[in-house]
Formats: sequence, C-alpha cells, structure tokens
Amino acid sequence: MYFDPAENFIYPPYAIYNWMIVAGFFTAVVLVVSLLTLLVSKGSSGFGVFFTELIGMLKDVFSLSPRRIWALTRLTFMEAYRRKALAVFVVFGLLFMFAGWFMGDSKEIQPDQVKVYISFVLTAVSWLTLPVVLILACFGIPEDIRLRSIHTVVTKPARRIEIVLGRMIGVSMIGWLVLSVMSVVGYLWIVRQIPQASQELLKCRVPIYGLVSFKDREGNYGKEGINVGDIWAFRSYIEGATKSRAEWRFFNVDETMLDSEGNLRLENSFSAFRSYKGDMTRPLFYDIKLFNIEHPEISYTTQPQPVNEFRSKQDIIPRKVTVDDVQYDILNDLTTKGSDKVPKGILGIEVACIDRDQYIGMARSDLFIRMPDRPFWVGYWKAIFGTALTVLLVSMIGVAASTMVKAPIAAVLTAVMYILSGKNPHQFMDQLVAGQVQGGGVLESVYRLVMHLGPSTELPANPAFTVVQIFDSILMNFLWLCKQVIPRSQYFNMPEYVANGFDVPWATSLIPSLLVTSAFIIPCVMMGYFALRTRELESK
Amino acid sequence: MSQSEPVIEIRNLSKIYRDFWGRPKVRALNSLSLDVRKGEVFGLLGPNGSGKTTTLKLLLGLLFPTEGEITILGKSAADVSKNERIGYLPEESYLYRFLNAYETLDFYGRLFNMTAAQRKERSEKLLDLVKLAPQARRRQLKEYSKGMTRRIGVAQALINDPDLVMLDEPTSGLDPLGSRDMKDLILDLKKQGKTVLMCSHLLADVQDVCDRIAILYGGELKVMDRVDTLLKSEDKTQINTSKLSAAAISEVEAVLKRHGASDVSVDHPTATLEDLFLKTVQESRDRPGHRNVADRTSAT
Repeated sequence: MYFDPAENFIYPPYAIYNWMIVAGFFTAVVLVVSLLTLLVSKGSSGFGVFFTELIGMLKDVFSLSPRRIWALTRLTFMEAYRRKALAVFVVFGLLFMFAGWFMGDSKEIQPDQVKVYISFVLTAVSWLTLPVVLILACFGIPEDIRLRSIHTVVTKPARRIEIVLGRMIGVSMIGWLVLSVMSVVGYLWIVRQIPQASQELLKCRVPIYGLVSFKDREGNYGKEGINVGDIWAFRSYIEGATKSRAEWRFFNVDETMLDSEGNLRLENSFSAFRSYKGDMTRPLFYDIKLFNIEHPEISYTTQPQPVNEFRSKQDIIPRKVTVDDVQYDILNDLTTKGSDKVPKGILGIEVACIDRDQYIGMARSDLFIRMPDRPFWVGYWKAIFGTALTVLLVSMIGVAASTMVKAPIAAVLTAVMYILSGKNPHQFMDQLVAGQVQGGGVLESVYRLVMHLGPSTELPANPAFTVVQIFDSILMNFLWLCKQVIPRSQYFNMPEYVANGFDVPWATSLIPSLLVTSAFIIPCVMMGYFALRTRELESK
Repeated sequence: MSQSEPVIEIRNLSKIYRDFWGRPKVRALNSLSLDVRKGEVFGLLGPNGSGKTTTLKLLLGLLFPTEGEITILGKSAADVSKNERIGYLPEESYLYRFLNAYETLDFYGRLFNMTAAQRKERSEKLLDLVKLAPQARRRQLKEYSKGMTRRIGVAQALINDPDLVMLDEPTSGLDPLGSRDMKDLILDLKKQGKTVLMCSHLLADVQDVCDRIAILYGGELKVMDRVDTLLKSEDKTQINTSKLSAAAISEVEAVLKRHGASDVSVDHPTATLEDLFLKTVQESRDRPGHRNVADRTSAT
C-alpha cells in the first residue's frame, strides 16, 4: 500500500476547527442527554437538578484537589498492578522471542523488510496496550459500584469529577507505562534485527512538498495530466517527447533545505507507463529542470535520469550549477527574491518524460525536497507518542462510558467508537451523510430490499414514503452528529509515517492530534461527572 | 453547636425504590422524621428490610430521597463538603481488597488532603486503636478475616477524626471480644464528644451503648426515645444489694409482702453470657495453659 504523508497532513486551522467541533458538539450532546435523562427520571424537577449539578460541577472544577486526584490515580495503578494487568508483558515477551523466526532472514535486509519490522513492532505495541487500557478503563468504576467500594470514596470529600479524573489519569498512566516498556524493547528489537550494514535503512526522512500542476502536450496548464486508465487516479501522466510537463513549486526554499554538503536532494517515486513494449530492459528517462518562476530563462536541467520503477530515487543537485558557462546558485538565482507580486524563496521544478510515446506518472507527493534526515529514534518515539494519545483517548472514553452503563457495555461502546474511528468507516459515514450512497437512508434501504427495488429505481411519491424520508433524514442528522464526536484515526496514524521511513511532522500531525485529543477531555469528564452525580451508586 | 443542637435533622423522609420503567417497587421509608443531637449515641433499630441502611445511605447521599429533607451538620446530604466531618463504616467493609492496612488508611487519608506525616501518624494510632495485629498490617485485605476487615473498616471511618460517625451494623461478624472492643470504642467516641449514629439489629449491643434509639418497621418510625426511658418498667421495683443470708432474704420478702408487693422474688442475679465469656478469655490470657473442665450438665 502506498503511503502519502502529504495526504495525511492535518493543517492547524483544520485541527482547531475540529477541536471546536468535537468539544462543542460532544459537550452539547452530553448536556442534552443529561438533561433529558434527568427530566425522564425526576420529572419537571429535573430542570432544577440539572442546573444545580451544572453549577456544582463548575464549583468542583475550582476546588479540585491534586492530592485526591493523585490518590485515585495511585489506586487505579495499584489495582491494575495487583490484579496482574501487567501480565500483558508476558504475551509481548513471547511475541518478540519468536517473531524473528517468521520475519525472514536478517542477513539480507530489503527496504520493504524494514517496513515490515517497524510496522510489526508498532502494531504489536499498540494492539497489546489498547485492550489492556480498554478493559481497565471500562471495568474500574463499575467494579467499584458492584463491590460498593465506591461507597467508602464518595462518603469522603472526594468530588465526582476527581474520581473520574483520577481513573482517567490512572488508566492512561498504566497504558503509558506498558507502552514505554514495550516501545523500548521493540526499538531494541528492530535495531538488533537489522544488520549493521543495513542500518541506514532505518531512516527518518523529512520531506518538503510543493504544489504540482500539469502541462499538456501543447504546453497548456491544467490541474491534471493524462489518465492512462488506472482505476486509482492518484497519479497523472505526462507524455514523452512533447511539451507535456509536471511542474512543482516549492515555497520558502532556503539553506536549511540543503544537506550537509550543500546539495539540494530531490527524491522522487515516479511511475512508468509504456504504450509499447520496446526494450524492457531499458528504463524510461526523465529530466528535471529547476527554474526561477519570475525569470523562466534562468534555469538548470539535469542529465536524463532513469525512472526507478516501484522504488524511490534521489537526484542530488549541487548548490552551484553551470549552464552554458554561466554559474547559478540554486538559492540565489533559481528561487524568487521576493517582490510585491511574488514572495521570496519559491523554486520551480519541471519534470519531463524523454521517451517518445511513453508516459511517466506522478502525483504531488512523488517529488519532494529531502531535508537532512532525522535519527530513526526521533520518528519512532513520535509514533509512540501518537499511540500514547490513542491510549489517553481510549481511557477517557472508556471511563466516561463506564460511569453510565455496565462494564461490558462500556467496553463494547468504546471498542465500537475506536473501530469507527478508522478511515474507511469515516469515509462511509461521510458518503452516507452527503447522500452519496445509493439506496437512500435506513428505512428506504429496508423498503427497497423488501420490495426488490434497485437503488436507482424511482420510489412512488406517497405520504408513507414521505414519512420514511423524514425519518431517514432525522437518522442522517443523528449520524452526522455521531460522526462529529467519533474520533478520527487519521489523527493518530504516526506509525504509518515511521514505517514508511518518514519523520512525523509536529505542525501537521503531532500538534493537531494533541489538540483533537484534548477536545475530548471536557465532554468526557462532564459525562462522568453527570453520570456519577445523578445516579444512585448502588449495585443493582 | 450546643449539646442539644441536632447534628442530623430528617423531616418527612420517604424513599421509594423503582424498577427500570420507573414504576414503584418498594417503599423503603415512609415519612421518617427524627433528629440526632450532638454528642449522643443514637441507634436505629429494626428487623431486616425496615429501612435502617436506606436511611443511612440517604444521609450520606448514596441514595436520593423521593420526598423529604435531610440536614447533616447544617448542610444538605448532597453537599460533598459535609463529608469532611463525617466518618462512615458500611455494613460490609467495602474496602479495596488489594491494598494492605497501611495503604488503605493512606489512600483514605489522601482523600482528606492529609499530609504524608499526618497520614502516617494517624494510621499508626488508628491501627493500634482498633487493635489490628502488627503482623497483619502489611497483608492485603483479601487475606483478612471478617473481624480484621471490620477493624480496618472502623479505622478508615475514623481517619479524619470525624465529628459524626455513622456505623452500619458495627458489630456484625465480630466475635464477643471484637464486639466488646467495638462497643468500648463507641463509648470512647461519645466521651470525646463525637456524635454516633449506628444501626443494628443486635439489640444487646444497642442497649449497651446507645443513649437514644429509634425503632423502624416497614420503613416507618415506630418508637423513639431514650433507651433507659423505654426500658424502664414503671410497674416493677428492683432492689440490689450485697449478698444476704437466707434468713435476711425471708425477712425482706415478708416486709415486701406486708407492703402489698406481689410476685416477690429474691434471688442471686445471673451475669450475662458476654460477661462470662470475656471473663473466661481474660483468665485464659492471664494464666495460659490447658485446664480440665468438669461437665456439670450430668449433675443437674
């Protein structure tokens, strides 16, 4: 599976928007559900109770005691420890003792094998930690209620909000401890599995992406190139030996983007498409032209280079290049100097296919400036940080759910939320909400199934069907609301970056994920508070 | 707060337990009104299901009243800050079984924002007070006997040196020695000026320690007054004296009959079984060793 880091970037404004959506909608849902529950259970006096509790919660927030929260955190920690939750290390140990047997000969390491090792470790660490966190989060408070231990806590000055926070922090800390130990072992395992000679395969690339546009065979600009018939329209193709080009513009190009020897490293992963067989042992060729977008005549074109099909390839461009006895400095001459119309530091790069009637395919992320690499461990720990945020998220949702329903139901609820956070469920929900899924909503689909009507068949316009559509639209709106409060795994896919040899960017990955995780704190704590304050803490 | 000022005020308190659909299932309490005054030991009595524990849980905010009002230490039952001055011993000692005695008291001490030094000092003092054997203090509570669990339960209830102590069946599951210790502890708390509210169905225990009692039946208050007032038989007279000779006893009987006394009975009083048991255990402690005990039942 091809991984495109640029596709996974989350830009800070979007993350802030998402923070507001999650915090706002989730909090609103919690408040509305709490109010409705109180109205149902207490009648009209539910209004009064609701506002009293709301004010009480605000008061409790200002009288939080770190010592009490820490006491409850320690309790959660000791409970997990004494109840042998850390036995998960045994499973982990067994997994790593024998994993090497099934993962190939470590004397000859291929780049793809490195990816498998890293993916294996990061996936194993995550899959072993999250179930432990899920169980601890969902069973802690319900067990306290069942065994009535909570009676000895709530009859002390411990606020409900402190109980919820203490549990959340405690469960998260256990998860983080488990995660840390496994991560250290996993890191050592990866490093040991890869022979010294192949250690350079453990890389942490820092790509700088530009914006791409295409020129057709007449040299006219367009957003896309030629589609050669791929179902996956990720890449566009340029035709060889014509004016067809792919043109990138890189911004803010400066010395920091050069490697230690002062060269500009360009990395590409172009794909080749042959319209005739020709000599199959001969690769297709391309050349790269670096140019000043304000003065296109100032340019430098590389020698023709072979396309590395299915592998990435680097082109090293020295800072000083000579064209017709004129020496250019890439940074000073080929990038823009800055004016009223054009900002400073823009570098134009044009890629051409040299072979007639052959095509080279590329997408925005197929050409990037490769900044000096970071050590592998930096990316590795950033990926672990992403998993740590998932641990926090699962513990928050799990603890909040466990204050309302029994432990197994809370566990299922949390697990379902985690599963739905995946890319595909979210895409499906997006399509459903946007009305892009054929066959209509829930009731309409059932009607079509029962009546053996195809998804494109027009339905009769009668009152019954109008009711069906109204009902479906209510459900769709509910689904839209759910979609807003279900976390998106896109925010926590840092392991993908590292497995594919990329660094995890702070600005477009780590900080947005931190922001979105923090958005769940307020509604989850609020949910826990309301549930524990408005229910009788008796085991039933 | 003066001696007669109520620490707990309950007015028209009712509690109806409902099923999932909100339909009334059981009326556990019906218009209960009572006061508990500062410095007294108040006993809630009643058979199983009479509403004693429900009352206690309503007072602590563990249950919500269907009707009525509760004021504890001048605050509402839902107010968490009241708990600063309350100690609670649940019916069963619902403690964290994976903690040991020190950890348990340390945990509850932290909930009262006590410093490490305060927690340590208080824990040692309380563990001595409840007479928990030193060798048991580092063991997890899951290894404790019922009596030991009860002792640590009492210790946790007193960790904050509370003004009001609520004890739910404090002597249940305790052997006579433990029971005696518990009663002594309650009397000691009273001496310290603390208010104790206990509920029990062990009448002898209540009689030994309570100043006032309330008897509940079917969720309703049936009787409430001072124990001595309630137990006093106005139509009988009791005379206690040191041992008399048989002649003196006959003379006393004659005098009493002359003054119109009927059903006269002059006899040697019998001790309670508890007194006998405690005396035997104390003697055994003082003089360890096996003794042959004659079975006197054959002689009778």
